Amino acid sequence: MESVKPSDDPHEARSLLSVADEAPRRLTDGLRLPTGLHPALGVAVALQIATAAYGIAQQTAAGLAVLLAGLAVFLLVAAVGLHRFRRINGVRVDGLASQVLLGTGTTSSVAYLAALAAATWAAFASLWWVVAVAAVVGGAGYALGARQWWNAYRADPVAHARGVSPRMLVALAVLVCLGLVALLVVG
Amino acid sequence: MAELDPLIHAPARLQLVTSLSAVSEAEFSALRAALDVSDSVMSKHVSALAEAGYLHVRKGSRAGRRTTWIGLTPAGRRALREHVAALRRLIDVVD
Repeated sequence: MESVKPSDDPHEARSLLSVADEAPRRLTDGLRLPTGLHPALGVAVALQIATAAYGIAQQTAAGLAVLLAGLAVFLLVAAVGLHRFRRINGVRVDGLASQVLLGTGTTSSVAYLAALAAATWAAFASLWWVVAVAAVVGGAGYALGARQWWNAYRADPVAHARGVSPRMLVALAVLVCLGLVALLVVG
Repeated sequence: MAELDPLIHAPARLQLVTSLSAVSEAEFSALRAALDVSDSVMSKHVSALAEAGYLHVRKGSRAGRRTTWIGLTPAGRRALREHVAALRRLIDVVD
């Protein structure tokens, strides 16, 4: 196997470190997000929050169906967005998948959880305009978190590239589906 | 203390592994364009590093075309980290 005998020359080391710092940028500077990813994500999350709140408050099979439909729309929008990113750029970034699908950033997770809690409370109280407002705010916060992550990734790609692997995402999706089926059976 | 790794010491190979550290996987042609090398040079480096267990290579598709996807393995990531640390120590000796 071909290899280069390393030299102990500090000047060469400095030059190699410069190469190591610049190379990732040459790959990531040209990356771009699919057009409309953030707005589509925001709308899908808003819809998911509203349908989840409705489904939880109704506690019926019809409510669960609405909840599942909202979840399916969100998953479809996220999957299409990630597929388009991979197709446009020829790279896969697990950090982006984690951010888009799981909202792992602070802004996204806080916005989502707070909005879901507010929307669910409002749905139990039949305050549907509050459900709508909470869903829109949650969706906007989630999309904002995704944008913040993208800016952080562009600034330091090596530090932000890693995330949940596709296998783990599939395992989580299976777990969520099993949980929902269990809910349906118990309910 | 980690030593310089001869397998990734050459500038082209160092560029290859550091580029891959910024993504989870990259398509062969995207990497080749970023590194500005020929198909044959790129193939040679990828094969050598895959044989050493530093890269994983899989066949896939993109827009209906057969493609090759390349990513760093945990061993490759560790080797890069240790190699960069060894380079920094060399510079620190002078500074």
